[in-house]
Amino acid sequence: MTSLKRAHPSDGTTGNLSSKVYVRTTRAGKVQKIVRELYLRQDIPCSSKLCTICLSSAPTNYHSKPQPFILSATPTGTKSFPNGHYLVPDTNAFINGMDLFEIETAFTDVIVLQTVLEEVKNRSLPLYHRLVSLTKNEDKRFYVFFNEFRKETYVERDSGESINDRNDRAVRRCVSWYSEHLKKAVGKKSSRCPTVVMITDDKDNLRKAKAESVVGLSLHNYVSGLDNADQLLDMVTEGREQRSTGKAELFYPGYFSLSKMMTGIKAGTLHQGIFNVSPYNYLEGTIHVPAFDKSLIVLGRENSNRAVSGDVVVVEILPKDQWKAPSSKIIEEETVNKDDNADAEQGEGVTTERERKALQEEVKRIHGKTSEGRPQPTARVVGVIKRNWRQYVGHVDKDSVRSSTQQSRAQQTVFVIPMDKRIPKIRVRTRQAGELLGKRVLITIDSWDRESRYPVGHFVRSLGELENKGAETEALLLEFDVQYRPFPKTVLDCLPVEGHDWRIPASLDDPGWKGRRDLRDLLVCSIDPVGCVDIDDALHARPLPNGNFEVGVHIADVSHFVKPNNAMDKEASIRGTTVYLVDKRIDMLPMLLGTDLCSLKPYVERYAFSVIWEVTPDADIVSSSFTKSVIRSREAFSYEQAQLRIDDMSQKDDLTQGMRTLLMLSKKLKKKRMDAGALNLASPEVRVEAESETSDPVDVKTKQLLDTNSLVEEFMLLANCSVAARNYEAYPQTALLRRHGAPPKSNFEELANQLKVKKGMELKTDNSKAVADSLDTCVDASEPYFNTMIRILATRCMMSAEYFCAGTQSYPEFRHYGLASEIYTHFTSPIRRYADLEAHRQLAAAISYETLDPSLHSKPKLEAVCKNINVRHRNAQLAGRASVDYYVGQALKGRVLEEDGFVMKVFSNGFTVIVPRFGIERLIRLRDLATPEPESEFDAEEYVLKFTGARVGRVELFGKVKVRIEDVLEESTGKRSIKLSLV
Amino acid sequence: MPPTSSQLLLSPAELSYLHSSLSLTPPIRPDGRTTTQFRPLVAESGIIPSANGSARVCFSDGTEAIAGVKAEVEKSQWRPGSTEQSLQVDEDGGDDEAGQAGTQGTGENSWISMSIEVPGFRDDDALPVFLSAMLTEALLADGKLKDRLWINRRFHWKLYIDILLLSAPLSYPLPLLSLTTHLALLSARLPKLKSEGDEDPLFDDDWEASTYLYPRDTKGACLDRPPITLLVIAVGPNFVFDPSKEELAVAEAVIALSAGTSDASTLNKNLRLLSIRTIDPPSRLTPLGIPDALSSAATGSAPLPPDEQLAAREGTDEHGVWNPPRGGMKRAVLAQIIKAVIEPGGVAQEVMDGLMHVEV
Repeated sequence: MTSLKRAHPSDGTTGNLSSKVYVRTTRAGKVQKIVRELYLRQDIPCSSKLCTICLSSAPTNYHSKPQPFILSATPTGTKSFPNGHYLVPDTNAFINGMDLFEIETAFTDVIVLQTVLEEVKNRSLPLYHRLVSLTKNEDKRFYVFFNEFRKETYVERDSGESINDRNDRAVRRCVSWYSEHLKKAVGKKSSRCPTVVMITDDKDNLRKAKAESVVGLSLHNYVSGLDNADQLLDMVTEGREQRSTGKAELFYPGYFSLSKMMTGIKAGTLHQGIFNVSPYNYLEGTIHVPAFDKSLIVLGRENSNRAVSGDVVVVEILPKDQWKAPSSKIIEEETVNKDDNADAEQGEGVTTERERKALQEEVKRIHGKTSEGRPQPTARVVGVIKRNWRQYVGHVDKDSVRSSTQQSRAQQTVFVIPMDKRIPKIRVRTRQAGELLGKRVLITIDSWDRESRYPVGHFVRSLGELENKGAETEALLLEFDVQYRPFPKTVLDCLPVEGHDWRIPASLDDPGWKGRRDLRDLLVCSIDPVGCVDIDDALHARPLPNGNFEVGVHIADVSHFVKPNNAMDKEASIRGTTVYLVDKRIDMLPMLLGTDLCSLKPYVERYAFSVIWEVTPDADIVSSSFTKSVIRSREAFSYEQAQLRIDDMSQKDDLTQGMRTLLMLSKKLKKKRMDAGALNLASPEVRVEAESETSDPVDVKTKQLLDTNSLVEEFMLLANCSVAARNYEAYPQTALLRRHGAPPKSNFEELANQLKVKKGMELKTDNSKAVADSLDTCVDASEPYFNTMIRILATRCMMSAEYFCAGTQSYPEFRHYGLASEIYTHFTSPIRRYADLEAHRQLAAAISYETLDPSLHSKPKLEAVCKNINVRHRNAQLAGRASVDYYVGQALKGRVLEEDGFVMKVFSNGFTVIVPRFGIERLIRLRDLATPEPESEFDAEEYVLKFTGARVGRVELFGKVKVRIEDVLEESTGKRSIKLSLV
Repeated sequence: MPPTSSQLLLSPAELSYLHSSLSLTPPIRPDGRTTTQFRPLVAESGIIPSANGSARVCFSDGTEAIAGVKAEVEKSQWRPGSTEQSLQVDEDGGDDEAGQAGTQGTGENSWISMSIEVPGFRDDDALPVFLSAMLTEALLADGKLKDRLWINRRFHWKLYIDILLLSAPLSYPLPLLSLTTHLALLSARLPKLKSEGDEDPLFDDDWEASTYLYPRDTKGACLDRPPITLLVIAVGPNFVFDPSKEELAVAEAVIALSAGTSDASTLNKNLRLLSIRTIDPPSRLTPLGIPDALSSAATGSAPLPPDEQLAAREGTDEHGVWNPPRGGMKRAVLAQIIKAVIEPGGVAQEVMDGLMHVEV
């Protein structure tokens, strides 16, 4: 009988076939044994420029040229490797030292083995992505060697050998193969043969390497041999094994196993959601889970069990007798745990005595009025599905640095306090504690073990002095994950070669004119803030013979220049939006396009995407049409200029008449919109209409709104709505739209109650119209600002608007609550928003101007795009606000002012005050009023806080107070900011 | 119910000759084997890489079979009979304590499913159905196999055993299929469980870490083995193991015996009888010989009417004239057979030990 079995690879070395067997569990719970065949080859090149053998046998591409080799012929050397060296790191070297590999001064000519790459992928996806992007960086010369497919470097797993041991052996085999191979390739000139060095932190692996005479070093040893080793060593991840304290006490309960959590989630006994920490109370977190309307509350360190704000966690509901109302007390980490010693582990409880006391008081308060029946379900974290740890900006807590060692190079453990108050302080080991004091630093969290009260992280780099403008701006951008690096060359390569000399083709037969309408004779103008260079939109209006008007909105035709899926498009989709800081703009598209070729500058011809309506004098739409066009803007006005021109009755030219028509129509449109229930809301920094949807970024000083602002606003809204309807008609599944969900009624409960109790006013929240109407009635004749304040508070009760893909929601869900529009999208600012660019492409396809790119047909792809731009949009807003905040602080530096303020929120040990003049809102804690902290009595039903003792007073919600404004260096963030105190 | 194609075209005289030589003491078998000697066979296991276990066996008469064992995770049905434990699940949803309490549960018969494919037969024909019933019966009678399929109170493995007879069924294929199944099960492995208690099961993705369905000790020796089913025929006072097709043609009784390792088999030398079945002997359908006294050709007289001839035929017991057996065997013979099978060092033991040496 001849055997039917596949020849075993161990039978002979000639076989080039092997197989890989593993078990796969499918999502449906099926368990499969998977057998993969592996065909081993001999033509996978070593990719060293020294090697000629591989060059002749390497596979060639379509032009019968092999891929250019990556590893340098003269790699850098160190003292121990004078001939230069290639590095072969193993998995844990990458896991522990990814930040090191990313630095520009060292770690070049690295061979990334396929075995290692796959292991990194299994261990940590974010690290894997970073490694892959490293391999694409040409300067770093990282080469991915597919050792598992090359016959000489493939190793068969021995029986009884663990996967890890086998992979380690594979790494060693590769190192020795490379060494021999290079020796052969270099031949007689062996003096110049680079050494191949394995880097591993596995002691066993190092020992075996020594036995097999493979050159191996631990990451630590290798880095110690480099220049500026101290700085580099700080960047190595804090390994678990380095914790010397032996029998550690376990502070936190362990996590459930993954299968237990999955079972629980399926059965509905456990819940999964994103963990959010309250900005007022670092010990209180909330989790929104689909099973409950209201968020679940997680109280205390033990219950939050090492979850960091932003993590996807699994929680278990606590028994009902432990349910609590959300906190009305401010608890800040730096005041509660002021002088922890970063080095000492002994004597640390999970909750310190003071923390326990703070919580205890909370519970007492709740128990005091259980009759009220307000407690919300509480929960505890039993596991983490996905860590969303990123790099955090912070500063070194100077109390945690041992003063005696400030100048020494000895390694010590310090605390880094992140800028984001919701992130716990992070324990970092460093040799440069003295230098880092007073600097903004970038750190990452590596791990958070059960035996450590705080997460352990490592230092990435220093951004510069605290309060240094550059450092603070960079800190902001990093904190809000804004891509601020210059555009890479691949992106710039996508720009038109003519550069600034690019012109609209003169000949109408040119392909650029195909399908375009020539609208150059229309009297088009643009109205923007002063100094605007990226002009997205322009308008025109002219009377028609039948008494109606023709109104046109012309939007920069960005999609003509940015074609789907090229490098520029990808970069733009990642950036998502242009970010406006007070002194800086981080563009979504390269300058050439944004401020010149796309920008609808006056007096030059530009490509545009036009929306043209026929409108009755009562502002009813008769018809609308969409077309790609060529326009020539007659003038670029600022809001003020436009207003002046309209108001100046001596101007009788057609352009001015057109603008007057536009103004007249816009007022009627606005009226209609308000009647339909559009909201007029406010935000504290600057008074902004809710239609900030389209408004250009507002200057801090711009407080006065002109008619011309709302003129532009109205027509942009109209264009967006028209385009949304047209795109949805053409692509009911994949149109990219924007919605603003109706807020759940419970969101308004608190505010409505406050208004009723304090002012006897009623807030109706049945629909947006009712909200708009009742907000109009919330007026205090003596306090004109009162209405604005209520609008600010009401805005905070709302959901945030979001982009979505039409197929993911039902039509009634499309509604834009704030604008009271059935369907809405973003179309009018393609230079600074990616969503608009996508809408342009969809509209262009809908009017049969061009074919739709497949990526815009695919729901999953669009959903990913929406998800990203929603995040980017939000981050851009936050970054902008933080930037304003920083600058207001800088502007008030060294000044002390007294101003009127209003109480917006009352806690049991403090309250927040908004100062209308500067639009700043700050917390005033009772202990800041006087020392010792005044005794307080908080009436939660009447929203009154009375305090006696060192200082006597009474503060009530919505009340007017006189406050002193001064700037202080904030301890927690190390930032100069404004502090309010009660006068 | 022997397969028709296994019918041999032997004359009554040949049948009679075979029968008488097998009835001698000691019996003389046509191929010269001893009564307990098996025909040589070739076997290998692990031939199907993607199955949990597999084997292939070739007998020297040219018959050949492949068996594959595949295991799938299945949700257990809640049964009112298996009360308390299941109720607990609902109450405290996989509490640790409860999980420990039920580390081992009992399996159900439906967790093993077998299908046999015989060339030329439909899957609902009597032969495949009967064969699979017999083999399944032995597996279930073992009792321990189905319990090993229990994962937790909510999940179990479902074992699919697929047997493919590659050759035409020349002789009765039961021993061949049984040995193939035995080998396949012996080589079968299940992924290693990582989850605990009554959670949705989660398995180690390393196939090397998987455990044998029939557990082995650290040195690789089997602690437990799948049952085997042997075919024995009785001829007069004698019995013969592993009958060839000629021997089957003259068998007075055919019995299938299943033997497995005994319950308390720490020593695993002790085998026990799991099932015993008599099988309709094919010899019943052989053409009967006609003694000279009744042959019209020999006597020249007119043939008797059929009923009279039958009656006359019934009375004769002439030596050398083939008379198809009408079934039945002596108790003593049966006792001897059972003893021969399960005694320490007996036939079943020998066969199992032989199969153990097949490289997995």
